[in-house]
Amino acid sequence: MVSWNDLWLFALPALACWTIAALLSLRSGRQAIVYLLTVCGLLIFGSYIALMWHSLERPPLRTMGETRLWYSFFLPLVGLITYGRWRYRWVLLFSTLLSAVFICINIMKPEIHSKEMMPALQSPWFAPHVIIYMFAYATTGAAMLLSLWQLSRRDKDLAGIDNLTRVGLAFLTIGMLFGALWAKEAWGTYWSWDPKETWAAATWLCYLIYVHWRRCRPASLRPALLWQILCFICLQMCWWGINYLPSAQGLSAHTYQ
Amino acid sequence: MRKTWGMTEGSVVCCVLVAVGMLLQVSAGPVRWDAMAYPANIVVLAVLLLSILSMHLLRGKVRLFRWMATLQAGIPAMVACAMLTVLMGVTRQVPSGHQPTEPIGITAMLSFWPFVLSYLWLTLLVGMVCMTRLVQPSWRNIPFLLNHLGLFIALVAGTLGNADMQQLFMTTQEGKTEWRAVDAKHHVHELPIAIELHDFYIEPRSFTSDVTVYTKSGITVRDTIRVNKPLSVRGWKIYQYSYDETRGNESDISVFELVRDPWLPYVYLGILMMLAGAVTLFIKNKW
Repeated sequence: MVSWNDLWLFALPALACWTIAALLSLRSGRQAIVYLLTVCGLLIFGSYIALMWHSLERPPLRTMGETRLWYSFFLPLVGLITYGRWRYRWVLLFSTLLSAVFICINIMKPEIHSKEMMPALQSPWFAPHVIIYMFAYATTGAAMLLSLWQLSRRDKDLAGIDNLTRVGLAFLTIGMLFGALWAKEAWGTYWSWDPKETWAAATWLCYLIYVHWRRCRPASLRPALLWQILCFICLQMCWWGINYLPSAQGLSAHTYQ
Repeated sequence: MRKTWGMTEGSVVCCVLVAVGMLLQVSAGPVRWDAMAYPANIVVLAVLLLSILSMHLLRGKVRLFRWMATLQAGIPAMVACAMLTVLMGVTRQVPSGHQPTEPIGITAMLSFWPFVLSYLWLTLLVGMVCMTRLVQPSWRNIPFLLNHLGLFIALVAGTLGNADMQQLFMTTQEGKTEWRAVDAKHHVHELPIAIELHDFYIEPRSFTSDVTVYTKSGITVRDTIRVNKPLSVRGWKIYQYSYDETRGNESDISVFELVRDPWLPYVYLGILMMLAGAVTLFIKNKW
């Protein structure tokens, strides 16, 4: 039976693999070992999530700490896909660093919860809904990091950001619609505009605006990059910001304890 | 003088809509969504579709209509909707059906005229841009139409159908047949279907009711209804809702939640199109 106390046993080897891979990726010519080490780290960390799932007897998706676990997992995965697809040398270092931050938060402040999951969450929709959202958060997070980097450059290239945003938006859409289908089945309405849903709609619209802006004004780069940051702030509001928002207190069916 | 309208004009239109919305809010009060029930929603739908069609046909003559299908019109509309949605996100909303708690009306955002008009404008623009793609059928337009037409259908059917949705509660007793149900405001409704409860029992992880459902058209359905396993009869979805909790397994009472949502298939159609559209975002390399 694994518990939160065992997190470091898995997290440290995984982080070690990711860090070595990230450092190796900074220099060209060692593709195979970079992929191998990153996948190795993913397997180690993934097996911790799987074991937690097993010992909790429910998907580890209920608390903030548990969703952070998925974020730490998906960041290196998105990093690797980005690296494989567009060869940004620094991207693995960034994703590893960010993943390490989330792992550290979880080791130092694990939000441990009881085994039981509330009845409404015992649904086959639950796991895909949250996992897809976590993947979307990781992808759009990577797009935001790229945007910060591009903002500091004279010759800006938004191709990678566009691709990540498109993939992130696709995941956001699927996660949102799965949520709507689930809500209809469980509560009888697709969309009840609770604070989480309101912010999800705002976030979705913001990314839609980015996508359309890039088509409408392809040469206007700086506003697009700044808009990415706004999108990401919206996303953070949606993810955890509403837990602290006075207007959302006690109203959302989505707040994590 | 520029010949075509651009984003500035798009922003002006949105500002005008918000201003008009404020005037309506002050003069007529919040939007009355309950007035949108059948047949009003059918009329609104017909007017919406006919105006999109006629504006599309007149696009060669009227510059405004041509412009409505462009990104320059769409982006400001999306920004307006996003801003009002964020405003909704930072203000504490009253439960649906309640009056706003402040004079402006933003605590009941869904009935706030500027919000409703902005989303209506955006929906209109999405409809207009779908028309331009629908009239030139091509395989290349399919991802575009899945995303945009899907959103249009889901948005329109979901909004217009909301007032037609009925959610009622029916309390049945073993051995008896019941056709009356109460709504959330405790009004009694006589339904075109009746439920006869044969038996109610509790299993380890579920509550189960053994029932026969009769309809006016003479159809009878014998089945069981359990939690998360609703029964569908003639457009009604019957959910296991409650029972006599003081008697547990011995309860001879079972309470059902009955939901009728005649616009549901269209909302699902829109959602499925959007899901397929989202998948095309992965495949497509250029947008």
